Amino acid sequence: MQALDKVLAQVGRVVLGKEEQLKLALTCMLANGHLLIEDLPGMGKTTLAHALARVFKLEYRRVQFTSDMLPADILGVSVFDPATQQFSLREGPVFTQLLLADEINRATPKTQSALLEAMEERQVTLDGVTRDLPQPFFVVATQNPVDQAGTFVLPESQLDRFLMRISLGYPAPEVELQLLAGGDLREQVRELQAVINSEGLIKLSRVVGKVRASHELLDYVQRLLDATRSDDRFVSGLSPRAGLGLLKAARAWALISGRDYVLPEDVQAVWPSVAEHRLSARQGGSVAATTQSLLQSVPVIRR
Amino acid sequence: MLMPAPIRNLYERWLARRLPPARQVVLDQRRIFIFPTGYGFFYLLVSALLFIGGINYENNLILALAFLLASLFMVAILHTFRNLSALGMRNGDSESGFAGEEGALEIVLFAQRRDHHCVWLRWPDQDAQQISIRRGEEESLWLNLPLPERGRVTAPRLRVESRFPLGLLRSWSYVSMDHYCLAWPRPQESPDCPADGGKENQQSFSSGQTGNDEFQGLRNYTAGDSLRRVDWKGYARGRGLNTKQFEEPVGGRLWLRWDRLQGLGEEQRLSILCYWILQLDPQRQPYGLELPGLTLAPDTGDVHRWRLLDALASYPDF
Amino acid sequence: MARIYQVPSHTRLWLALAVVLCSIPQLVKGVLWQTGLLALVILIRWLVDHQRLTLPGRIVRSLLLIGAVGLTFFSFGRLYGPEAGVALLVSLFALKYLEVVQQRDAYVVIVLGYFVCATALLFSQTLGMFLYVLLCMMVLTTCLVGINHSDTRASGWVHGKRAAMMTLQAIPMMVVLFLLVPRVAPLWNMQVGGDKARTGMSDSMSPGQISELSESAELAFRVDFEGEMPSRGQRYWRGLTLSHYDGRTWQQAIPQGIPESQYLYRPGNNKPDWYQRIAEQRESGLPGYRYQVIAEPTQRRWLFSLDVPFPIYGDVALAKDMRLVANRPVSERFAYRVESVPAVAEEIDLTRLERQLMLSIPEDAGVKARGLAQQWRLESPSAEGIAQRALQYFREQPFHYTLRPPRLAMDPVDDFLFRTRRGFCEHYASSFTFLMRAAGVPARVVVGYQGGERNELGSHLLVRQYDAHAWSEIWLENKGWTRVDPTAAVAPERIEFGLREALENSEEGSDLLDDLGLRRFSDGGVLALVSQWMDYVDFRWQTWVLGYDSVFQSEFLGDLLGAVSPTRIAIALIVSVGVLMGLYALFLLWRTGKAKQTLMEREYWRLHQRASERGRPLVVGLSPMQLCDAISEQWPQAAGAAQSWAKYYQKLHYDPASPPNKQQRRHLRRLRNRLYKLLD
Repeated sequence: MQALDKVLAQVGRVVLGKEEQLKLALTCMLANGHLLIEDLPGMGKTTLAHALARVFKLEYRRVQFTSDMLPADILGVSVFDPATQQFSLREGPVFTQLLLADEINRATPKTQSALLEAMEERQVTLDGVTRDLPQPFFVVATQNPVDQAGTFVLPESQLDRFLMRISLGYPAPEVELQLLAGGDLREQVRELQAVINSEGLIKLSRVVGKVRASHELLDYVQRLLDATRSDDRFVSGLSPRAGLGLLKAARAWALISGRDYVLPEDVQAVWPSVAEHRLSARQGGSVAATTQSLLQSVPVIRR
Repeated sequence: MLMPAPIRNLYERWLARRLPPARQVVLDQRRIFIFPTGYGFFYLLVSALLFIGGINYENNLILALAFLLASLFMVAILHTFRNLSALGMRNGDSESGFAGEEGALEIVLFAQRRDHHCVWLRWPDQDAQQISIRRGEEESLWLNLPLPERGRVTAPRLRVESRFPLGLLRSWSYVSMDHYCLAWPRPQESPDCPADGGKENQQSFSSGQTGNDEFQGLRNYTAGDSLRRVDWKGYARGRGLNTKQFEEPVGGRLWLRWDRLQGLGEEQRLSILCYWILQLDPQRQPYGLELPGLTLAPDTGDVHRWRLLDALASYPDF
Repeated sequence: MARIYQVPSHTRLWLALAVVLCSIPQLVKGVLWQTGLLALVILIRWLVDHQRLTLPGRIVRSLLLIGAVGLTFFSFGRLYGPEAGVALLVSLFALKYLEVVQQRDAYVVIVLGYFVCATALLFSQTLGMFLYVLLCMMVLTTCLVGINHSDTRASGWVHGKRAAMMTLQAIPMMVVLFLLVPRVAPLWNMQVGGDKARTGMSDSMSPGQISELSESAELAFRVDFEGEMPSRGQRYWRGLTLSHYDGRTWQQAIPQGIPESQYLYRPGNNKPDWYQRIAEQRESGLPGYRYQVIAEPTQRRWLFSLDVPFPIYGDVALAKDMRLVANRPVSERFAYRVESVPAVAEEIDLTRLERQLMLSIPEDAGVKARGLAQQWRLESPSAEGIAQRALQYFREQPFHYTLRPPRLAMDPVDDFLFRTRRGFCEHYASSFTFLMRAAGVPARVVVGYQGGERNELGSHLLVRQYDAHAWSEIWLENKGWTRVDPTAAVAPERIEFGLREALENSEEGSDLLDDLGLRRFSDGGVLALVSQWMDYVDFRWQTWVLGYDSVFQSEFLGDLLGAVSPTRIAIALIVSVGVLMGLYALFLLWRTGKAKQTLMEREYWRLHQRASERGRPLVVGLSPMQLCDAISEQWPQAAGAAQSWAKYYQKLHYDPASPPNKQQRRHLRRLRNRLYKLLD
């Protein structure tokens, strides 16, 4: 657990004033899920991803998505090698431990789904040959919510592949001041110390699975899910997969909070980032507000 | 219900004693009244007719049928009662409005023990609204409330009624919610702005110029941002809800002051202040309000405007 | 003009189902055009509900109404009376359904449905029909629930479940009301269903008549004995005495000049001398049989009983020839209760006029038989002796008992006694009585039923048409009327085991039995058991439900309440309905649909409720710690106590490693109580 605090402290040095989001990002990694960050450019997404890679000593690659990108640009391609007279696979950028997929919504749906499939399966199949991706494997994708000219918005079904969606937002004024005074961020990221290696991370995510959840808590999670399904304000409710993700994220959050059992607060803490991007509101409603209001109206303790 | 005034007063007093106002109410047998509907009486008449028929034809089975109808009626008493019993209500939000117009109060209904079907709620002399609440859930209902004059308008006694399941009986209850709606003063036009600070030229405030502000960019919409600043075009294109950022207007801050309206009546002062709040609001120039006992710092936006108007409404007990 | 259909869509199907179900019993027995009308209405309604058609206007509906009235008049010749009235009601029901637009129309249809159900019970009162009507009631109640459920999302099945639950709850109360609400005498008299003529005994007997009856297994009546039951050989169910013989046919007769009041005793009227004598004798504690008879409709006034019957209740009278007479023709099932005391028979006298009648035989009939009788009279002076001689004659001569006797020629008595000698009970009874009269012994023929089959389930007796029998009674100076069954002399097994066994052992064999379909219960097997059960249920239905009239009721209430008085009945009614309502209230108001709240859950909600009552109302979505924060915010002085409660609670409730035990829960409660004190 101390290691986790250290991770937070380390990353917090370069991603200033965003403890909550950092914790969520870390939760997502411990829960072995992929992360979607929705933000304007220049808010520190890259810094966050890079910093996370460094402190966990993960192999890190960054891909800037564009509309002329092909699936092969991500996954790799079979190349004929005249020397050996054989096809060999030239691995694409996806063969890494932490992939930052920048502005994923700029790529064509075809390319997007190639990546998303790889994320889901944690393996890549090219020309009939299946190759496992490295362990662990995380994707941190970013999306620009505002400038959407010429973009391909990720459909809801694809969004389900991301365990969480967060947005970093503007820094607080005093933090911004600190930021301005701080100097080159890239330099600082490079100076970050690795706290845990990738094996340690895998071990940690196994510990997440051992965080206990009481029957009463599972009941609460179930009632939350049920509430999204019976609520008219949503087009459709959360899937069982989303429910499993919610529980896993809550377990990871509990672990980061230094507990070996899950509290309703843990569920509530990860709730917006797990639920919001999977739900869409009927006309006129705000998903964020409605999702939040469910926390108010669903009894934590069964009545 | 028509009854002579003295009896009506007695009845009202009795009701008020029996059902004191509360912020949260759970209906129980003390609060629920029950009486057959017209159709219920008709149903009993049918049962009686069948009874007479059974007697005359010396037909025990028709008698049994008559008794079955009567028994269903009796069972329906319990079921109709049950449909209201344990229904919980508490104060929700309130929506203020100008005096002379309508506000709205939110009533949150919660079902702790069972489902409640087809419950009707209404204030006196208002249209009823229907709602069903499932067990363990909450539903909210906005009920419009006429606001005759400025100030706090407390919620009248709410009538909660249900005929479910058979429509033979009506169970009802009166609920006095300790809930109120704020009635803003009716705006009264006045040529002079009771404001300090800002540009000397008062005229420009009322001319509705917006060109002064410089568009800066967009940021995520957060609750409370003025809806007028939302990038609706972008929203229509599916980019989500964003708020346009403008540069701080050059005009500086304005203070609307109570003291600037010497010599006028209280209500009139409030009405004039209200008028100017409405005038200043579209200007995107920060404006504050100073009332005896309350000072609200200058700001812009819907939330700010509401806060100011609510302050006017609740004057002098903030 | 577009009209809004206010009956919710989830109820439409139920309404259609209710209309069809309620109408079916009437359609089955009614005229064909009614079915056509209903089918047309359902079709139109369906098309309207699916937007293929607009609702027919007033003109079309009026035309349909006029058509229905016209057809009713055409079919029945009138518009009043039970059949025509019901036909009209059913048509009206269908037409009202056609014009359902608003909730109010649906109400009217449902009420009409109740009446249509009631008319179904007017014509058939079987258990099956009643259950069917209960089903209809349930569907009608479902419609009521449906039209009062204005949520468009509601599901029709839920209405059905709710209605079924309510009906099931109403049924015990219905039973209580049925038992306790006093039966009032009819305000005016009505009779429905006129002539339900069935096979049965006629008031005369000529050769071949009873053997015809023997081919029917139809039920004649059922008997429920209160105590022990007489043995089969003693079960002679007397129906009629036939005293006048014209040479071929025996007929009922009473001596001329005797007024009915002297001959017939109606309970409550003046007691004739003979009745006074037998009543006195009965008082002296003679053994008797008490039983209830439920007779099937015969359209006749005579009833069946063992000798000598004293009516206990039922609208019946006792005639001097020891038989019961109903006060009006038995047109529906009819129940009466009797005590039969055989020993009082000797108290009934024989007047001169009666003796004359009981000795009369036509001049020209049975010349050879007269000779035989005269001879017996000379040989033995006593009447008993003569009877013994006659029976001996039947035993010794080659007489045969058969269901298919040969035709008899002009003089049936002589022809049977001396030529064919093959016959059925009526032949034996007829010729025996003739011989007795010819020998100067007053005698008469008795027709009725003999034996009866016992239903093992109900220990009641079933008497069927094939149990029909005829025998004789002779007048003995010191014993009065005495039963003599000449058939027993010829075929004793007929009396001991019943007709079927008698036939099985006879030369005609069992193929006749198969022909006649007379094999019933006693053949064993599942089918037999089922039919025994069905009979038992039907019997109990008859006795306990249909037979529950004012007399039965006052007897029952007497047993139940000790004494019958209006106050006691009123108290019993109020108490039992109150108890039922109380039970239901407990069940309905305390029952929670899902699993009950656990102690830990209740612990939380108590605090939540207390905090909401004392301060700001709180939302439900608060975790224990958030509840603690909300409390601390409103009552800063309680922050510490709240904190310790919440910490303890969340550990107990959410850490699966430490499930709460009793002590911990008690500690938690203590923490909460400490917190309560700080909330003011």
